[in-house]
Amino acid sequence: MSLGPQTELSREETDAFLGERETGVLSLALDNEPYAVPVSYGYDAGARKFYLRLVSTPESEKRRFLASTPQARLVVYEEEGDVYRSVVVVGRLEEIARDELTVEHVEQYGEAKRPLFEIWGQAKRDLDIKLYQLVPEQVTGRRIAVDRGDDAPKS
Amino acid sequence: MDGETEYVFDCPACGESLEVNGSMRDALLEKGCVVCGSSLTPEAFTKTTSTEST
Ligand SMILES: [Zn+2]
Repeated sequence: MSLGPQTELSREETDAFLGERETGVLSLALDNEPYAVPVSYGYDAGARKFYLRLVSTPESEKRRFLASTPQARLVVYEEEGDVYRSVVVVGRLEEIARDELTVEHVEQYGEAKRPLFEIWGQAKRDLDIKLYQLVPEQVTGRRIAVDRGDDAPKS
Repeated sequence: MDGETEYVFDCPACGESLEVNGSMRDALLEKGCVVCGSSLTPEAFTKTTSTEST
């Protein structure tokens, strides 16, 4: 397997990619400890913001990390045939207070409807669901074509 | 003067309770609970006040 040229996605391609995907991996850090969790998100290309629902329980790791720092990374990727695309978002995670919720938020969270990973094993009433927006400082999209026909060992 | 009609929204799924106005109510009915994503029916909303006498 060999890697074709890696190209940077344009802003339009990046926005389109983020809009069609709906899940990614969110990473947080606390001192030297990393934390990563799969999340579903809604993406507003116009405002370039991500809307996330994060669920935690009092004893959960996630709560500890969320309390520590608003710095976050979100990685969204997809492998489709021979083309691998990824977007890395670096930004700040900001909690949206319940009394700040607007019609716009309701619409954006409507797009982030599927909580694929936040499995609602417990009754929703028992969960602490917090709403966050991720405001990007940097968004980097890449595309790499993978040539799978070229698998011969190389010297 | 009549204030905008206000509602109390109580999500039957997650228990969230919010004070909302008419446009928020419409958006919630269309898009589902902003907190948990559950679909909502008009029963989740209780009209509170539209005549504030000050
Ligand atoms: Zn709810």
